[in-house]
Amino acid sequence: MSALALERDPATQARVIVALAKRALRVQLRRAQFLLPSFLLPLLLLAVVASGTSAAQNLPGFPATGSYVGFVVSGTIMQGTLLAGLMAGIAIAGDIEGGFFDRLLSAPIHRASIVLGRVLGTALIGVVQAILFLAVALLMGADFQGGVVGVVLTVMLAALSASAAAGLGATIALRTGSLSLMQNLFPFVFVLLFTAPAFFPRALLNPVLEAISGVNPLSYVVEGMRAALFDSPALGSVWGGFTAGIASVALTCALAVWAMRSRVRS
Amino acid sequence: MSTRGLAYTGGVGFALWRRSLLELARVRGGLLPTTVAPLIFLLGSLGQFGRLDQLVGFPTTSYIAWLVPLSCLQAAGFAGGATGANLARDIEAGWFDRLLSSPAPRPLLILGPVMAAVTRCLVPVTVIFIAGLLLGPGLTGGAFGLFMLYLAAISFSIVASLWGITLALRAKSQQVGPLIQNGVFIAVFLSTAYTPLPFLKGWLAVAAPYNPVTYVLQMGRQATVSGIEPSWAHTWPGLLALAGMMLFFGLLALRQLRRVDR
Repeated sequence: MSALALERDPATQARVIVALAKRALRVQLRRAQFLLPSFLLPLLLLAVVASGTSAAQNLPGFPATGSYVGFVVSGTIMQGTLLAGLMAGIAIAGDIEGGFFDRLLSAPIHRASIVLGRVLGTALIGVVQAILFLAVALLMGADFQGGVVGVVLTVMLAALSASAAAGLGATIALRTGSLSLMQNLFPFVFVLLFTAPAFFPRALLNPVLEAISGVNPLSYVVEGMRAALFDSPALGSVWGGFTAGIASVALTCALAVWAMRSRVRS
Repeated sequence: MSTRGLAYTGGVGFALWRRSLLELARVRGGLLPTTVAPLIFLLGSLGQFGRLDQLVGFPTTSYIAWLVPLSCLQAAGFAGGATGANLARDIEAGWFDRLLSSPAPRPLLILGPVMAAVTRCLVPVTVIFIAGLLLGPGLTGGAFGLFMLYLAAISFSIVASLWGITLALRAKSQQVGPLIQNGVFIAVFLSTAYTPLPFLKGWLAVAAPYNPVTYVLQMGRQATVSGIEPSWAHTWPGLLALAGMMLFFGLLALRQLRRVDR
């Protein structure tokens, strides 16, 4: 089969995507510098927020969810997936600087497969994160009225959120090709996190932030997670979360493929 | 030590301090991460948790007044930790071996980066403090409170720097950078970061009183939190905590330096 035919063969490209996803997963789960920010840091913040700000439940207007840690764990999942996306970008920038990316480009692989492989790997990391964080929240006393269905829907939303973050990370990495720039983007992850109702209900956010959160798609994803976990439409819309998540994945992946094409052309 | 010896020692310390600062001038935006990250945390935490000041018994009616000293301390810690990461780079590049082969007094090899940490932290701390003041909280603690906030921040940057230096000397690799900064992050947040001690629940309520940073924060909060009025009672626990941490991490850094030297 010619190189062009291989590039156009869906079965071959599916195998390529899975192989690249497995590599992404291996790299991120084996190296401490990737594991620490995407797993340990969100857990730490969960522990601090759950114990340090739980008095917020006494504020008028705070939804009665039974357990505060159950309410804030959606924010932790969101934080983890955003950091996993950034780590994906850092890994791509590392591949570019290290020369592995050039080897990928010279192989008979469709450009989109390179992006999709990384996105799929990060989505799987999002799944692992969500399961771990929910298990820790249960150990800390959370009670999810949504049951198994709610947990499954939340894990799916986490996968979408991680995919969107990976698409964004890949776009920036492919546009800049700079490892040091990617590493310096760490604080900006928190801009996306804090402009969504990650730890507090939207109605209790600062008025400026409340207005900004309306245009942040992550707001709908995190509220969708809460609605699923507590089986409560008052906390958000599950389908709204899926719509925002899928739209974000489509947009960021399209941007990443565009960035890839620009890099190849230049 | 003779006058000549003192002059030599001072000269070496000054040269090492100056080298660290020259690097800041050469690397554009070198101070940006240590300034931007705490600023984002300040604004983000204010947006998310700002209504906590409405809780009955909260020591101030302005949540940003509670957060500004936290962000200043965080910035000072990150600036201090960065000197450890820079030392790791010097070790990897072989520059530190050249220093070890020189007749410079060994403690100065640590003192230089520590002095640089103190200088470096002043920029982000001041930027965050001014940004915080513009957002609302008055300087309720007056000049004494302001002095305590800066003393807490500067001293904490020394502690973070000694922690960073210890890890850099042990790991001898730049990969230790995230571990240094995560250590600072953990130390700052496992305290009364978001709410005072009576509002903490669960394990944090047990851990926070044993975390020395809790008392350093209390010392710094005399500047902006009306419920923590400037007093010796709010100062000495912080001073004691800082002295203890400096002694502990200073000894650790010197011990690690002796091992590297051997």
